[in-house]
Amino acid sequence: MKTRFAAALLFALSPFFGDDARAQTDEPVDFASQVLPILSSKCFLCHGPDAQDDSLVRLDSYTGATVDLGGSRAIDPDQPEQSEILVRIHSADDPMPPDDATHPLTDAERELLDRWVRQGGAYTDHWALVAPIQQAPEPASADANPIDGFIETPLQAAGIALAAPAARETLARRAALVLTGLPPEPAWLETFLNDNEPGAYERLVDRLLASPRFGEHQARYWLDAVRYGDTHGLHLDNRRGIYPYRDWVVKAYNDNLPVDDFITWQLAGDLLPNPTLQQRVATGFVRLNPTTGEGGAIPDEFQAKNNFDRVETFGTVFLGQSLTCARCHTHKYDPIEQEDYYRLLAFFNSTAEPAMDGNAYEYGTVARAPANQVAWTEWEELAAARAKLISDAEKDLDHLQLSQGETQRWQNGSLDERLTMLADPHGPFGQRDQRVYAQVVQTGSTNAQKQFTTTLIARDLPKPRPTRLLQRGEYDLPVGEPLEPTVLPGMGAMPDGAPGNRLGLAQWLTSPDHPLTARVMVNQVWQRVFGDGLVRTPEDFGVMGQQPTHPELLDWLAVDLQQHDWDLKRLMKMMVTSRTFCQNSAHRTDLDDPENRLFARGPSYRLDAEVLRDIGLWASELLDPTMGGEGVKPYQPPGMWLAMAHPGSNTKNYVADQGERLYRRSLYVYWKRSSPHPMMTLFDAPSREASCVRRSPTNTSLQSLALMNETQRVEMARKLAERLVREEQEEGARLERLFRLLACRAPSDTERATCLSLLAAMQERFQQDKPAAETLLAYGDAPRDKKLDAAQVAAWTQVTTTLLASDTVIQLY
Amino acid sequence: MPDNPIRENELLTTRRQLFGRAALGLGTAAMVNLLGQPLGADETPGRDDLNGGLHHVAKAKRVIYLFMSGGPSQLDMWDYKPKLKEMYGQQLPAGIRDGQRITGMTANQQNGLPLCPSKYKFTRYDNQDRGVYISELLPHTATVAQELCVVNSTFTEAINHDPAITYIQTGSQIPGRPSLGAWLSYGLGSMNENLPSYVVMHARTRFPEQSLFNRLWGTGFMPSEHQGILMQNQGDPVLYLSNPAGVSRADRRAQLDALVALNQEQHRKFADPEVLARIKQHEMAYRMQTSVPELMDLSGETAQTFELYGEEAKQPGTFAACCLNARRLAERGVRNIQIFHRGWDAHGNLPGEHESQCKDIDQASAALIKDLKQRGMLDDTLVVWGGEFGRTAYCQGGLSEKSYGRDHHPRCFTVWMAGGGVKPGITYGQTDEYGYNIADEAGQPLTPQPGKESWTPGTMHVHDLNATLLHLLGIDHTRLTYRYQGRDFRLTDVHGHVIDDLIA
Repeated sequence: MKTRFAAALLFALSPFFGDDARAQTDEPVDFASQVLPILSSKCFLCHGPDAQDDSLVRLDSYTGATVDLGGSRAIDPDQPEQSEILVRIHSADDPMPPDDATHPLTDAERELLDRWVRQGGAYTDHWALVAPIQQAPEPASADANPIDGFIETPLQAAGIALAAPAARETLARRAALVLTGLPPEPAWLETFLNDNEPGAYERLVDRLLASPRFGEHQARYWLDAVRYGDTHGLHLDNRRGIYPYRDWVVKAYNDNLPVDDFITWQLAGDLLPNPTLQQRVATGFVRLNPTTGEGGAIPDEFQAKNNFDRVETFGTVFLGQSLTCARCHTHKYDPIEQEDYYRLLAFFNSTAEPAMDGNAYEYGTVARAPANQVAWTEWEELAAARAKLISDAEKDLDHLQLSQGETQRWQNGSLDERLTMLADPHGPFGQRDQRVYAQVVQTGSTNAQKQFTTTLIARDLPKPRPTRLLQRGEYDLPVGEPLEPTVLPGMGAMPDGAPGNRLGLAQWLTSPDHPLTARVMVNQVWQRVFGDGLVRTPEDFGVMGQQPTHPELLDWLAVDLQQHDWDLKRLMKMMVTSRTFCQNSAHRTDLDDPENRLFARGPSYRLDAEVLRDIGLWASELLDPTMGGEGVKPYQPPGMWLAMAHPGSNTKNYVADQGERLYRRSLYVYWKRSSPHPMMTLFDAPSREASCVRRSPTNTSLQSLALMNETQRVEMARKLAERLVREEQEEGARLERLFRLLACRAPSDTERATCLSLLAAMQERFQQDKPAAETLLAYGDAPRDKKLDAAQVAAWTQVTTTLLASDTVIQLY
Repeated sequence: MPDNPIRENELLTTRRQLFGRAALGLGTAAMVNLLGQPLGADETPGRDDLNGGLHHVAKAKRVIYLFMSGGPSQLDMWDYKPKLKEMYGQQLPAGIRDGQRITGMTANQQNGLPLCPSKYKFTRYDNQDRGVYISELLPHTATVAQELCVVNSTFTEAINHDPAITYIQTGSQIPGRPSLGAWLSYGLGSMNENLPSYVVMHARTRFPEQSLFNRLWGTGFMPSEHQGILMQNQGDPVLYLSNPAGVSRADRRAQLDALVALNQEQHRKFADPEVLARIKQHEMAYRMQTSVPELMDLSGETAQTFELYGEEAKQPGTFAACCLNARRLAERGVRNIQIFHRGWDAHGNLPGEHESQCKDIDQASAALIKDLKQRGMLDDTLVVWGGEFGRTAYCQGGLSEKSYGRDHHPRCFTVWMAGGGVKPGITYGQTDEYGYNIADEAGQPLTPQPGKESWTPGTMHVHDLNATLLHLLGIDHTRLTYRYQGRDFRLTDVHGHVIDDLIA
């Protein structure tokens, strides 16, 4: 029964399930997603942009396909049934593709082509290249979250209801993990659970959005996408000075910097008028490509490779497009020609740094910037005070009788120099009331700047490097005339007056005409919140990528984001307060939707490597909240770097940190790109050598070993055990507390029985073998609380280790 | 309530979730097939009746790849060039270089490009063909000449280490693609339930020059379960294998029993099939805790074995120990084993360095082949030996009779294979009398030199090498694809040719 029901349902909801479910004979064919891939892989070699023989019919445009071939047409718009394509793809005597073709058509492809031609053989634009239009949802009720209207409407049509709301405890945990990457603070949880007034959940969400932990967690996703690392990546894989960029990303999220600015500053902050320090540091983005300093390497080769990497990462991150194909040849599926690729590349080809990094920490253009988050805040305050002092002084200029020389010094002076003038008791501003304050600010600024560290930033050469098309992508085969930097065609126009540099590129991306940027950004954020994007292939919005499950919703959100000043926190709040998000996440037995393409249940997935570690540090109260600064080095098995590193590398020896730096959030773990921390890579973190906008969750036995045996996990388990033993007097209460911390709820009867039985067995075991208990409690640097009974803490450590490794903790649900 | 729990579970198990499991028995590519999502036009899953192959009957069930990182000098071991003796110290003729780019290290050196003969004596050993020259640096390897398929015409485009090693291992000079081993894991899966399917070892060397990178055994855009598992020389052989001191095996069993109970409770509430899959992985981890120490315990190996591999095989981390481990892994059903030995980047003092390097690897490489053969495993175990490029015929730095250096040379180098369905005892391809260009049978440089765009008989581009390796393992390199960003990626990109001449 149920299976048949599921099949019928699947058909009703076929748009959500892709091609498999819609093999109906009269089902309309979508040219871009269904036909174009066939034409491009099976026909275009001879009948497309790469064709060698001009006399053959071209099938890469409607115009070409409908050309009169002397009585017949490949596609006959008037009499589709007479179209030559229909004849030839079925012909036994003279088939197309020919008998000896490497890629013959499959029966399914023939059927699709048939259907498409009979339906008129229309060529349509790919959905993602048409700018989004906002169509109002059909809200289920007047005060409904707009997201829910889009999700529920098709469900209602199929007679499906959303799942019941998740338990409040579960929801609090879910929202906190999604927004901050940590469980909710116990006090916040308690407040929320005791708050029975309307808006209680919204109040919790507001707290989470305002937490500095928000920016840290959100930054992580971005750092994967832009391939942030603390080393150069290639050859020696030496240290690279760029962590202020990472700190800036955290700050930008916490400050809720509008997404358009977030994009613009990173691509072109240096080209803005009078750029601020933040804007310049943000251009570290342009410098994140892996580089080499290998002796004997040929600079021209790496100038080309660095540019390939930049332009292709740009494509993945902002356009949701792979541009890689067009490096060597005109793109087969998406309308990107090889020349377009190199015109786009020209935006990146003129940054001032040399192609080779010289294995230097400070490579190419650098800025000096605050070395951690507190320093950023202090600096921002000082900079604001300085700006205010200067603008106040400007107003006074008329009253003060400055000599010509002084006026000139003032006008040509840097901000720092002007501040010095304002602070000088003997100078032209010496008599003003604000002088003493200026002196305070100046001293503060000077001291702050002494603590600055260097960070790689972008700067363009005064005279651009010429960019030529490289035949087959070979650096030593440039052809044709130099190409001007130009944006890709078919994705909205360059705004009027936009300069032909990276700033113009950013203006193009963030203009309302651009069909992709806002959609791609919204999709990335949706994926963070719901586990999967509305487009399940966030790295590919091209014709070979998946169609959005809810195209109108994606478009609505994309337009909404732009209309509300690209306000990210607002967008995320809308998502996490939707009924869609708040559903119970249990897999539904009444629906055949294991991938949750309908969003008819709440999100569930295994948490990322960083979150797994942070939860344990947090619960054990080991977590050091310090934000920012040079990457930290927690414990790592000995010899891992040395076994692989060049003897000349300055990252060949891994020396674990000591003290609080062992316990920073995982976002700050030192990222050596040729060998990231094994607790990151074992749990699917990318190497950050290439852009990654979606981690593939895997499930391996090595993860099991790591969860139970890794030094820091043992350490956090035993400190958590100490906490329980110290804070509660009775075993049942300790277990309650443990579950409350990690699952935000009390244990079930089964869970209670399971854990207490393990505890009892372990208590007995460690009572009999105290040395074993003491050995276990010596793991990690954090001192053991000797006031507590070793056997008792060791027994609890076994329980906490187990729960920390269980799906109750390592999953979002 | 579900009326049929098994069907229930099937319904809930999705492709994506299947991908998420460390697939046993079947590779992911094969699984994709079972689920009806074709990889290529007419894909069939890897099957027992194909000897574990995915597309056709596999000749090799497993591969042991001895990777000589840094660029071993073919001119001092394999590619015998008496002409260089006559030309000692003379400049490389411009016509021979033929405009080829050379690295910044020798492009402008003061003494130009003086030709540099090998100081080592070469002997012609009988094989099953026209014989093979091997230098005195490899006396043990010479004893297995009858088994070796020696390709002197291997070539690449990359001229620096990082791009070259990334290229031969991932098919691309720029990082981001899955490694050869990841492709094999993806395509073929694992043959055993107690050990990983892809194991990587780093052998000790006196000259740890040139870096290795996770990407060489990494997965690029593929799920990370296909990554090579490092077998470490110190501490736990497999990361985090041992229980913390103070936790006994019985304790761990008790913990796992509790963990399973907790996870089943979670599954009851949320019905996520992933949770059940994870329970299986916890159990496999528990089994690995005994299977790996058993693997590493050499006490059962005979005196004859240590005579064969050399006493060094008793010291963990030596190349000999790695080779012995490789044999033990192969016996236990590990499909793909790779040993990286660094230190072959001899820009100066080549004799001093290469003598030490060859001493590290010579006896054990030969022992591995003999050992596999006597155990009846050589027929279906492919052994590969080689680096990322070769070394130049001209000297880098000062040239003397006793010592010299050689720069990187991509145009020709030597790779050998043995067992696993390759023709035993043959040499393939030749170079000109300078050992600089790939040549025809008469020794004349091919013009133009071969490229990756199309295969030239008698040559082996690194893509051809990988295409041939996959072929021997039962995979058609043009059909093993992974879709990422709308493109069906292959290990061999859009190149590669299976060299039938090498296949038995």
